[in-house]
Amino acid sequence: MREQHLQDILRRLPAGVATLEGEELRYTFINEAMAGLLGPADATGQPVAVHAGPWPADLLDVMQQVYRTGKAYVAKACQLQTGAAGPIYCDVALEPVLDDNRISGLLLFAVDVTVQEQARQRTHELAIETRRLDARLRVLTETAPQITFTVDGAGRYEYVSPQWYLFTGQPPTCDLNAIWPLLIHPDDRLRVLYQSEAARKAGVGWSYEYRLRRYDGHYRWMLSRALPELHAPGQPVYWHGALTEVHDQRELSEARRRGEAELRFLADSIPELIWTATPEGFVEYYNRFTEDYSGLSTDELGPTGWINLLHPSEQAAAGRQWVHCIATGEPYENVFRMRRHDGRYRWHIIRARQLTDEQGPRWFGACTDVDDQHRLRQVLQTQYDELAQANRDLDTFVYTASHDLKQPVLNLRGLFDELRQGATFADPQAEQMLGMLDEALTQLDLTLQELAATVRDQRGLSAPAEELDVRNVAEEVLLGLRAQVQETEAVVELDAEAAPTLVYGRANLRSVLHNLVSNALKFVHPDRPPHVRVRSYLSAAGQPVLEVRDNGSGMVLPSQPAPVFQPFARQHPHIGGSGVGLYLVQRIITSRGGHLEVSSEVGEGTAFTVYWQERGLNGHA
Amino acid sequence: MLAASYTQAAALPAPRGFSFHTMKHIVYLSRAVHPLSDQDLQELLDQCRRDNIQHHVTGILLYSHGNIAQLFEAEPEVADALFERIARDGRHSHVQKLIDRPISARSFAQWSMAFHPLEPAGFEALEGFLLPHRVPAPPTSLSIADATLVELVCLAVFGPDTSAPYAQALPGAAQ
Repeated sequence: MREQHLQDILRRLPAGVATLEGEELRYTFINEAMAGLLGPADATGQPVAVHAGPWPADLLDVMQQVYRTGKAYVAKACQLQTGAAGPIYCDVALEPVLDDNRISGLLLFAVDVTVQEQARQRTHELAIETRRLDARLRVLTETAPQITFTVDGAGRYEYVSPQWYLFTGQPPTCDLNAIWPLLIHPDDRLRVLYQSEAARKAGVGWSYEYRLRRYDGHYRWMLSRALPELHAPGQPVYWHGALTEVHDQRELSEARRRGEAELRFLADSIPELIWTATPEGFVEYYNRFTEDYSGLSTDELGPTGWINLLHPSEQAAAGRQWVHCIATGEPYENVFRMRRHDGRYRWHIIRARQLTDEQGPRWFGACTDVDDQHRLRQVLQTQYDELAQANRDLDTFVYTASHDLKQPVLNLRGLFDELRQGATFADPQAEQMLGMLDEALTQLDLTLQELAATVRDQRGLSAPAEELDVRNVAEEVLLGLRAQVQETEAVVELDAEAAPTLVYGRANLRSVLHNLVSNALKFVHPDRPPHVRVRSYLSAAGQPVLEVRDNGSGMVLPSQPAPVFQPFARQHPHIGGSGVGLYLVQRIITSRGGHLEVSSEVGEGTAFTVYWQERGLNGHA
Repeated sequence: MLAASYTQAAALPAPRGFSFHTMKHIVYLSRAVHPLSDQDLQELLDQCRRDNIQHHVTGILLYSHGNIAQLFEAEPEVADALFERIARDGRHSHVQKLIDRPISARSFAQWSMAFHPLEPAGFEALEGFLLPHRVPAPPTSLSIADATLVELVCLAVFGPDTSAPYAQALPGAAQ
């Protein structure tokens, strides 16, 4: 019963138990756990060499040795060859069984240690991996340009990478904790020690800059950054960090800051409005003078606030031009009136250009006060125009007067001759008086002729004809009229392709063009900007013709064209003028053997056609 | 259609405490953190429109290739709160406030959004949506300086390619 009980316990033991008997080591007892190791076939009675089961060959040899020598042996973590998925490891104990002091067999214990063995192997692999990572970390920390370090909670250096020694020139045997604070620039030392201690106390990382003495005695700016290594209870024990040399960057940004401050100071000292804008066109800086001039702060002005300073009638055009320049990158330039803090507008040239460099495009602008010049120029221009007009009128008047007085003088002479022949005079002094009268009449006639000649010469009416480039002369004339062209926003078309040259007096051609074009610019239609077409071409008869056509207000033509060109006859009494322009044009043209034609429609426009030469055209007298 | 809606601005029902002198407008530029998909844009449009109608916020939001710009008008407290929320929104960064000024009256009748959807078909009919080239000229009730600012913002968001219509947008250029 007791024997049976023991057998049961043995059979159910979680470790494998078997007995082997005799020289051949035949299985005599196999418990359940051992049967699981040996495989499905029942091995009882078989020699172990025949039914080797999972036992490796060298273990079989060991069994034989144990049987022979009687010395027990334990094979630790012996790998068994079972059919199972993974390897199975067992501690196999071999005990000799003594029967009458003679070895009669072996007792076999197999304890499964697979889990332990796997854990051991994993630990081993991890150790190898850790060593590899450690080596990598070491290589990385020792080749990076930064100095790496580890500090404990008390501020003692646990580790510093070799770069520190290279940088400071200290021997590897030096006392790191003693020497390090001494290498910090005296001005920074206290701050650094305080900051790192404060960070350690608070259990946080740090990031600060200080000057550290290099091997050559120069102090270089370093950036020190470190983070605490947190341990389970939440108590940081070590700080790991790096020191990076930031000296050059710091110097550079210092220099840039200085440069910017100097430029800003310069910009603020100039008595001009200076500003800079982003690539998108938003003004980000106005200099102090802008604020003084406008009486508004940069904030009050805002990114497009300069437009508010302009005269209301100019704002839209200014804004449009600015948007256009931002879109295209073209420089900005225009003349505007800008409001001063006291409400007075002063003329300014506003110029802005785009600067493109490695920092990306930016706009730099300046507004230059040209008010005095502008006003002076306006006054001078007005005076000049008035004088020129007065001069022209005077010339015309003298010329006309001398011309028109010729006939009465002629009549007077006729009458006088009549009188001398037909009448008798009793007075003895009569003959002398008549002589004096005759002399006076001749004098008057001469004076009139000279007067007319003088004016004619002066106006170049009798200037010699030369070959002229019509386009050139017309452009000169337009240059003189540019104020009117700009004011009326006129479009003037020049087309001299068909007849580019003309043989004529230069001053005459100029005078004709000047009068006709300025007329066209003067009598504009109120609803549209003037469009003036100047065309030089050859008539059907091959004669040069000039046409000046406008889209102005037009006029009612009298039944015959002649009255248009009478002196002082004005078609548009509401528009300023002396009324001699067309008269003069006509005189010039007829004096050189040509004629002038006009066609006009009220509200549509007027066209003047100048036939320079009459030769070969008998129809026109 | 939009020109007409601008003119209705004055006729907008007055929200509580509405007064011509207690309004402000804010304009900002920013960059989207991720490019916004059609769906993102539509969700943004729906969400903003709902919120803005509720809080009587009017204006316009422009989006193109990650560039964002918005002009909105509201009562000062509403506008400030809205901007603060916008500035904290993680979907965009580099928020650059260009202008923050009191205004005497609204210039926009409603709130709308303009962007280039990849699939424009479904968007055309959406309430409050505009194709960028359909963005109307800045309302004439804006000062010319502010109108120029809006033009520049359009230019910054959409680039000069679509800027052709704006060349005529400022008052006075149309004729």
